[in-house]
Amino acid sequence: MFTQLCTRSRGLLVSGLFLLLLLVACGSTSESNTTSPQTGDEGARRGTLRVAMQPIVNADPIAISSDSEVLVANHVYDYLVDIDPQSNPIPRLATAWQISADGRQYTFTLAQGVTWHDGSSFSAADVIWTFNRLRNTAGTPTADLYANIASVTATGDLEVTFTLQNPNPFFLYDLSDNHALILKNGTTDASSSFNGTGPFKVVSYAPEDRIILQANDAYFIPGQPKLAGLEIIFFNEDNAAVDALRGGQIDLAMRMSSSLFETLKNEPGIIAIDVPTNGFDLVRLRADRAPGNDPRVIQALRLATDRQAIFNVVQQGYGAIGNDTPIGPLYAAYHDPTIQPPARDVAAARALLAAAGYDASNPLRLTLHTPDTGNRPNLAVVLKQQWEEAGAQITVSVEPESVYYGDDGWLEVDLGITGWGSRPYPQFYLDVMLISGAQWNEAHFANAEFDALARTAGTTLNEQERIAAYRDIQRLLVERGPVIIPYYFAQFAAIRETFSGFELKAFAGRTDFRNVSYVGP
Amino acid sequence: MLLPHFAVRKLASTPASALGGTIVLMFLLLALFGPLIAPYGLNEQLYDEARQPPSAAHWFGTDHLGRDVFSRVVLGTRDVLALAGLGTLLAVLSGASLGLLSGYLGGWFDEILMRFFDSLLALPAMLLALLLLGTLGPSASSILLVIAVVYTPIVARVARSVVLAVKSKAYVEAARIQGESLARILFREILPAVLPALAVEASLRFSYAIFLVASLGFLGVGVQPPSPNWGLMVSEARQHVSQLPWMMVYPAGAIALLVIGVNLLADGLKRVIMGNDYL
Repeated sequence: MFTQLCTRSRGLLVSGLFLLLLLVACGSTSESNTTSPQTGDEGARRGTLRVAMQPIVNADPIAISSDSEVLVANHVYDYLVDIDPQSNPIPRLATAWQISADGRQYTFTLAQGVTWHDGSSFSAADVIWTFNRLRNTAGTPTADLYANIASVTATGDLEVTFTLQNPNPFFLYDLSDNHALILKNGTTDASSSFNGTGPFKVVSYAPEDRIILQANDAYFIPGQPKLAGLEIIFFNEDNAAVDALRGGQIDLAMRMSSSLFETLKNEPGIIAIDVPTNGFDLVRLRADRAPGNDPRVIQALRLATDRQAIFNVVQQGYGAIGNDTPIGPLYAAYHDPTIQPPARDVAAARALLAAAGYDASNPLRLTLHTPDTGNRPNLAVVLKQQWEEAGAQITVSVEPESVYYGDDGWLEVDLGITGWGSRPYPQFYLDVMLISGAQWNEAHFANAEFDALARTAGTTLNEQERIAAYRDIQRLLVERGPVIIPYYFAQFAAIRETFSGFELKAFAGRTDFRNVSYVGP
Repeated sequence: MLLPHFAVRKLASTPASALGGTIVLMFLLLALFGPLIAPYGLNEQLYDEARQPPSAAHWFGTDHLGRDVFSRVVLGTRDVLALAGLGTLLAVLSGASLGLLSGYLGGWFDEILMRFFDSLLALPAMLLALLLLGTLGPSASSILLVIAVVYTPIVARVARSVVLAVKSKAYVEAARIQGESLARILFREILPAVLPALAVEASLRFSYAIFLVASLGFLGVGVQPPSPNWGLMVSEARQHVSQLPWMMVYPAGAIALLVIGVNLLADGLKRVIMGNDYL
């Protein structure tokens, strides 16, 4: 702004001391505006990235869940350990770590020179306070996740040691759980204060409208962030967000259906990106009551499902064909591609349903509930046709996301489609979705053999043993599991080509803008 | 019964009304015989033929899931006509009865009812519809009720205005002096005078009701996929519009054509029944 004023003034004033003074003023101002203290590189931070996201409801990291909530938190706060796009744990606030031989002690060295947005300095006490809050707040997903932590102690001003009750080979991933952003010791207003150590500071937050952030000049990693500002603009509709991208009101959209993505691929000035993920749409039948308590019913539905057709028309060929287990092909070490659900066989499905007591005079009648987002309504309509060919009668009920998830309705219904976001390791899905009594065990699945295998996989330090357990789990789920996973998603994004350094993550909310820079005019 | 032969002839002699009548007749036939005409089922998915533009095999093309758009538009006719038709019928029945009663009785009953209707009319029809559907829960019967509630006040006002003009006429006075019952006076003496205006109003309301049904479908209220409700089809086509424009053009065109047809017919009816002065 001031630079513009200066340029215009220069055109008006032909010569003289005044001009000279003004130029000096311009020069010094621009220097103080754009120079970051770490790099001294003039103009290093410039440009504002405008991102379309669905509105955020929760701002306190302990309660966040949606892509947008995580995205905002991930730029205001820092994780102790981060996950790179290839699913490897990498340093963030912890610069290095050591793991004891028995796998029960993790010692982290913390970064130096880190300050909170309010100016105070960061220390081990903040990490300890944060993790005690995460594991001691009843009714939160992290209370379960961190139940295995015996203690968190400071072993130096900038050193923290976690002691576990049982070894956990995935502990670094657990530490990078979406909620595990480090808050300042003693924070009481985490849902509104936005006092983080992160790369951006919140300037203003207008609920349902937008949240405006500016670069944190004191960020502890030199040269980051490269942008001067970040604006998260809230859109309720993916269509509207894509239109805004086309119209130049935003620079980046990350949530869209494959059809919308297709339309952006040939759009000039926009780069369309897709990455494979471990996320999936889960079709599950409650296993604890009729009709799902008869395993022949889900098996018949499995046989009636045409995965290739679903992949072609619903996913338009993006992502990967599913095989009914959450241990998808991206978990290369654990995924066994030879374990596949049976090929489609409508006659066999019909026969199984008949054996279970359902025939033309008494057809299997089910209501298929689904949120109205993503490709899920399309999946529901296609499944309806495929299953009805086997004699079932399906009523589709498309519901707004808030209704589907509201009052835990999704955990109650017999037959539903739930979207599960991508996670960097498979144990997460087993622990929260399929183990007996798990918090989000929406299929109400209870199988002692499965529980034992999942426990082995989640605790053993022997990689071969874990691989074997995951293989058995895949086999068990394909044969007897309560779920159908017809495909794994691709994650889509489209960004204006005036930005570079953008690396989309499988869980879009964890996408990191610290290395994104503005390369436009 | 309403339209004597000469009126039908008069209607047919005006090109615009004849066109309107033809369009409406065509859609009525589609609604009656849709399943015989549509080459494919409403949710029949031909996976290998998905996303195809209009062709000899698929006159209106196929949608993103490989469903024949022509079949879906044809099969959706019954949905729209039945909901809009029955809803309008309900609105006319209740509106006419209340309008007759209110106009004839006058006094505080008339006053209260009309103020109540005024307050309903103050709300936009769509807002009222959404409010009602939100409380009733989405289903076909609540859509019928919504159309009835939204259009009853308008029909009642039209009926009432005619009653006010007629009720002081000698033949009504005579019937009253003869000691005829209220029902007999209303339906035997006054109703015949109201019928022409009512017929015109009903045809207009019908065209608005079609639009309301389609709009609610577009908003996804009261219908569930894979219903071939035209409004829902247009809504589903939105995210494919740049690639598969035929998914949107045909159902939207069907809505437009039917509404135009009904409106042309309504204009013609008005002319025939009430004379040119009313146009």
